[in-house]
Amino acid sequence: MKNVLKRIIFGPKEKEKYWWINVLVPIIAILLALVVGAIFIKLTGRSPIVAYKLLFGTSGLLPGPYWKDHFAEMLLSTSMFVATGLSFAIAAKAGLFFIGAEGDFLVGGITATYFGYAKPFANMPTFIHLTIIFIFVIIMGGIWGAIAGYLKVKKGIHEVISTIMLNWIAVYLIEDWLVIGPMKANVKTGISGTPYVSNTARLPIILHGTRLNISIIIMIIVTYLIWFLLYRTTFGYEIRAMGYTLIYGMEAPKAGGVDIDKRMIQVTFLAGAVAALGGAFIVLGILFQYPPVFGGGYGFDGITVALIGQNEPLGIFLASMFIGGLRTGAAAVQLAHIPKTFPSIIEGITVAFIALQELIRYWLMKAATAKKKSYVKIQGGADE
Amino acid sequence: MNSHTLLLLNSTIAQTLDYAAPILFAALCGVISENAGVVNIGLEGIMRFAAFFGVWGAAIAKNPWMGLLWGIALGIILGLMHGYITVKWAGDQIVSGIAINVMALGIGTYLLQAVFKTTGYSPPVPYFGAEVNRIHFAFLKHIPVLGAFSDLTFLVWLSLITVILIHFILYHTVLGLRIRAVGENPQAAETLGVNVFKIKWFAVITGSVSAALGGVALSLGTLSSFTNAMPMGKGFIGLAAMIFGKWTPFGALIASLIFAFAQVLQLLLQSTASGVAKMIPLGFYLSLPYFLTIGALIGVVGKAVAPAADGIPYKKEG
Repeated sequence: MKNVLKRIIFGPKEKEKYWWINVLVPIIAILLALVVGAIFIKLTGRSPIVAYKLLFGTSGLLPGPYWKDHFAEMLLSTSMFVATGLSFAIAAKAGLFFIGAEGDFLVGGITATYFGYAKPFANMPTFIHLTIIFIFVIIMGGIWGAIAGYLKVKKGIHEVISTIMLNWIAVYLIEDWLVIGPMKANVKTGISGTPYVSNTARLPIILHGTRLNISIIIMIIVTYLIWFLLYRTTFGYEIRAMGYTLIYGMEAPKAGGVDIDKRMIQVTFLAGAVAALGGAFIVLGILFQYPPVFGGGYGFDGITVALIGQNEPLGIFLASMFIGGLRTGAAAVQLAHIPKTFPSIIEGITVAFIALQELIRYWLMKAATAKKKSYVKIQGGADE
Repeated sequence: MNSHTLLLLNSTIAQTLDYAAPILFAALCGVISENAGVVNIGLEGIMRFAAFFGVWGAAIAKNPWMGLLWGIALGIILGLMHGYITVKWAGDQIVSGIAINVMALGIGTYLLQAVFKTTGYSPPVPYFGAEVNRIHFAFLKHIPVLGAFSDLTFLVWLSLITVILIHFILYHTVLGLRIRAVGENPQAAETLGVNVFKIKWFAVITGSVSAALGGVALSLGTLSSFTNAMPMGKGFIGLAAMIFGKWTPFGALIASLIFAFAQVLQLLLQSTASGVAKMIPLGFYLSLPYFLTIGALIGVVGKAVAPAADGIPYKKEG
């Protein structure tokens, strides 16, 4: 029974020989980045030990004073990084360099705001109200993402161009039109930005006394669903085939009968929809309105997260926790006279070492094979 | 042509060139490096680094030329880093580029606070846009179109010269032929005795220097300080301009000019709007350049084809 259940959830087992190298690469990259970061702090005349103590002490990743609060904040931002990280990774698996998460995130945010305060919905029970909001968020975010896919397939416009343009269009149309125009809060209320969403549109809190809400549970489910989609369905198999054969013009899947054009539009829809969830979380769980200036960045952080997580759903989830922790602890490092953008230096260096993974893999492989050889010698067995 | 329209025409062209320079430098970085098969998405970060170090250098020496040198030096250093990861270790080019971008974000803010003790802006420093540092051709002033070239900064001229230079190198020299060969089919180039790694190193570093010049053009061109929001996506726009221009220097020039003109037009429309046009929300004006770019790609340009081996790490056989 247990095995049957296991097979349903995780599918048949497949194991690579050196699977642990894939796990070690991001960990080593992070450790090396922390070392380089420490040197950097030292060079600018501050104490790395104090800085790291403050950073990790308040990151929510390690137990300590006020752990509950930091832990909640860490998971809160984790859910948004997972959203944009998965968005990038799904498209990357299909061989697309989709950097539109930034725009999709904003589209998700504004959609959630609108359906959060608009009249006919505002008095429904929470469950129904939230369901309606998320359906529209997924549709709108998906459509915004799918525009890039459509333009690539039908007009041959490279997804890098279209997503960059769509990101800016989203920023300007939302912040310099909707938020200051049709969706502006009544002047008399004295609120800048849009009106606040109704109480029924706020995400239920799951950890009493903190802001932690169901967004993290939603993202755990979504992470699993994306993993299942990628590795246990025909759809996932086909888009991975597209990604693998990207440099050969996707000839093999084409010959195998995959409708590449259709799949690309579907993938961009999915990528847009997942990123839009993040925007909905920040509106429905933290801000409760769309402020005049959103101060985004989650979209591009998603790329970082996806790269550290090696484009694998579980890896992205863990990487998001790490980045979420760094961001939560960021405010505290200011006590050591270090700007709170310091964590992005660590993130950047981590990504640099991820890029250098050929080197790390080379070392690890050498270490692994060296061990085996000596083992063989002790056994006195034949070599080769 | 009366003197008012003449002035407007010339100043619009001059503004367009001014606005285009950073984008053009970024696009040229992409052109030279991707023609050798190395994608450099880190140009946004390189621009930020160079914009900051340019201002730093100019502040210390009280001279924009020192800023330019610092910027170029930064370009070389980051080029070496990108090359070490992508050429030496055949690492993922996108990942390496993103690493540069993310680091630039953090280090830029960090150093701004550490060096200038400010958060949003650096204090003003000597810059190329200052009256004494501009390049004047007084005799051109009253000629339509050419008048725009009577009062430009050194960096705008440099961006235009770089276009010609890179075009010449790519299409009229042996080195250029090798660069393109490496970008199309590195194995074949290797068989013919081309040192693929050397060519790639050269292209990556030259490209980074170009992107760094773009960063310097941002902070020391028409502005005289580093702002923390720099480069505000200009690097990515440059990347788009490179694809728009089909990986050629003159294509990149045209694409950058179209985009820059759309920006200038947008500002012009906003300031001269009257009657019904006043009713159009600000957001539509601001997003106009981006709509125009997509529109131009749909309408005019056909499918853009990258160099065949673009983005594929090269490893020697055996």
